[in-house]
Amino acid sequence: MMRPWKGVALASPLLIILLVIFLTPVLIMLPTSFHEYVPGKGTSDAWTLSNYTRILTDGYYREIVGRTLLMGAIVTALTFVLGYPLALFMARTTPFWRATATLLVIFPLFLNLVVRSFGWITILANRGIVNNFLMDIGLIDSPIRLLFNLTGLVIGLTHIYLPFMVLMLLSAIQNIPRDVEQAAATLAAGRLRIFFTITLPLTAPGILAGSILVFVLTISALVTPRLLGGPTYKVMATLIYDEFMLKLDWPSGTSFAFILTLITLAIIWGAGRIARRWSGGTA
Amino acid sequence: MTRPSVLLTAFAGLVLIFLQLPVIVVAISAFTETSYLTFPPQGFTLRWFGEVLTDPGWLSAIGFSLLLAFMATFASLVVGTAAAYAISRRMIPGSEAIASFLMAPLVFPAVVIGVALLQFYAVVGWRGNFAALIAAHVVLTSPYVVRACLSSLSGVKIDLKEAAGTLGASGFTTFRLVTLPLLKPGMVAGGFFSFITSLDNVPVTIFLLGPGQTTLPVKIFTAIDQGGVDPGLAAISTILILVTGTALAIAERWVGFSRFV
Repeated sequence: MMRPWKGVALASPLLIILLVIFLTPVLIMLPTSFHEYVPGKGTSDAWTLSNYTRILTDGYYREIVGRTLLMGAIVTALTFVLGYPLALFMARTTPFWRATATLLVIFPLFLNLVVRSFGWITILANRGIVNNFLMDIGLIDSPIRLLFNLTGLVIGLTHIYLPFMVLMLLSAIQNIPRDVEQAAATLAAGRLRIFFTITLPLTAPGILAGSILVFVLTISALVTPRLLGGPTYKVMATLIYDEFMLKLDWPSGTSFAFILTLITLAIIWGAGRIARRWSGGTA
Repeated sequence: MTRPSVLLTAFAGLVLIFLQLPVIVVAISAFTETSYLTFPPQGFTLRWFGEVLTDPGWLSAIGFSLLLAFMATFASLVVGTAAAYAISRRMIPGSEAIASFLMAPLVFPAVVIGVALLQFYAVVGWRGNFAALIAAHVVLTSPYVVRACLSSLSGVKIDLKEAAGTLGASGFTTFRLVTLPLLKPGMVAGGFFSFITSLDNVPVTIFLLGPGQTTLPVKIFTAIDQGGVDPGLAAISTILILVTGTALAIAERWVGFSRFV
């Protein structure tokens, strides 16, 4: 028996919370980004496009946007390169080792983000583990810079988003019909050939989903870039943070927030289209 | 099925070690006798744990975080389970669209939600309001409850409820004896996710705290951001590591938690 009012009553509390505390605040932020910031006074009443044109014309802002996207691409590629073999191992090994590995993958995922970034500071700092070790064995004379630059951010963010990639890839690999690979093996295809002609292509939707997730999370990450990049090496999220909390320039901050949101939505939308085309092609 | 090769196993092992690396480093360096952070630690002392756990600032941050996470999880379980139930039974038109809207905060840039709420709360005067902070956390945590409950319910034949009805069970009895046990694993897993997510959050929380309010991760974040790392921070982080590990082990034994990840 279908009773729509009952369904609406069950779903409406959460829907109302999301409408009031998520959708409305995001939408009312849009007009702010078309105003100018007057130092000492706040947001002016006059309308302007300058917040957006500045992002395109000012080299400083353009560099931050470019750096953020580059960082997203590198982190996505690294999580894939590190994550695929691990996911493959987990799919192929005994149930005991799969369960153990799964717990080792999700433990860091649930560990506080600030704590994980803290760990990387200890490892990568000028007097950190890596530099001390390299100087002790005499490979380098003075510390190499691993923090407050792209290297540090990429290492920290790869560590943080690797579990997402592994879990996505694991479920994709487990969904491959077992007999397909066995059939190939029966037909005397080698391990590598089976991997590149069967396993990898069949997991393409999982690779796409995992990559999109990691990319989107990486370009909007705030905590790790702030702690490993310091106040000077900025990405979009830390720039938004500074515009709001330090410079109090809300119009500029909101315009960046919208650019970040638009990039995110465009990527998710584009990936959805690709995924639909793929599933349409095989069906 | 071919077993993983030695090479693959070795590579997987190294990646698993990479994943635990910062955790191990933080936990070990919390026991150093030096007043600065060093690795390997020098000597062995529990002094930093004692200092942190007797500091009123840290204790009130821990208390504030736990209360916030508990309230947000409770609220998320109530509204999230109800919504998931309605969606999975297709009780409302447009269930698919509604489900994706409910999941949107998972991929929406958290820092954008943070600044949007900062502006909104400033306009309506909710900044520093505890209930408003809980509501903001519910936005972030409810998707996990909805997702886990949907996955719990999707494996179930819809006829189970009707069968119970046919056998003469009342609506409430059916709910108590059939629906609720089916929902339990999803609710436990979703609740766990929700609690951890709330306890972990910085990018939204940091914009909404009023004067004098702070959560544990925001306090650690601000301390590192403004003054760098020290053994006290390592000690409080180690406590978080132990609590998270224990909670994960319990959730895994209780409902086979990892299948919901």
